[in-house]
Amino acid sequence: MTDKNDNKRRILDMLAQNKISVDDAYRLLSAVDSTEGGRESGGRAEPAVKGKAKYLRVTVVPDPESERTGNYDRVNVRVPMSLIRAGIKLTTLIPSEARDKVNLALHEKGINIDERNLKPEEIEELIGALGDLEVDVVSKTGEKVKVFVE
Amino acid sequence: MRRPPMLMHVRIQDQNRGFGLWLPLFLVLPLALVVLIILSPLIFVATAILWPSSWGKRAMLSLKAAVEVFWSMRGLDVDCHSGRQCVSISVV
Repeated sequence: MTDKNDNKRRILDMLAQNKISVDDAYRLLSAVDSTEGGRESGGRAEPAVKGKAKYLRVTVVPDPESERTGNYDRVNVRVPMSLIRAGIKLTTLIPSEARDKVNLALHEKGINIDERNLKPEEIEELIGALGDLEVDVVSKTGEKVKVFVE
Repeated sequence: MRRPPMLMHVRIQDQNRGFGLWLPLFLVLPLALVVLIILSPLIFVATAILWPSSWGKRAMLSLKAAVEVFWSMRGLDVDCHSGRQCVSISVV
């Protein structure tokens, strides 16, 4: 905490002595705050503790130009995490013959996951990790695709 | 405690016409219970016959999973627009 104050004072001193501009001082002060913020949380790269994720959201927002012409696709999907959990549990009921086919198809696509090796606690961990998921894609046509958890 | 879904709203809209439908999902549970009670002797016999071949257990687990999926549907919201066409499904 003292280091933080020292650094801030030093930046303000440099600003007072006209060694740096106001913009530079603002940028440096922000950097000090963000660095110290990370250090105060134990110095680890762990994300801040968030509330329990409730929904997986997928949105596709069209380009305003194509929206005006009426030729657009807009998608807004909200899936409860409990439904995803229940759906994953359903996969354990797949007969072994069908499961082999699924694994083979996945292997052909370059995905080397043996679905039989997935344990319930690993599935829970996987769903828990979805909380940090955020996909943000802008296509050539200006469509914005977002996948996130809320 | 999770609550079961009560209603499902389905809305389909075309360029010229559209319709919306409210499905009372809360009626499904009592109906399913009645069907389960009526068919319980048959289910019991079928499970007993199929149990050694592991299909009985699988059938019971499938039933449990189906109920769980139904129970988890509350909050599901799908809204797709393509031009002037629109399909919307929401479970409340």
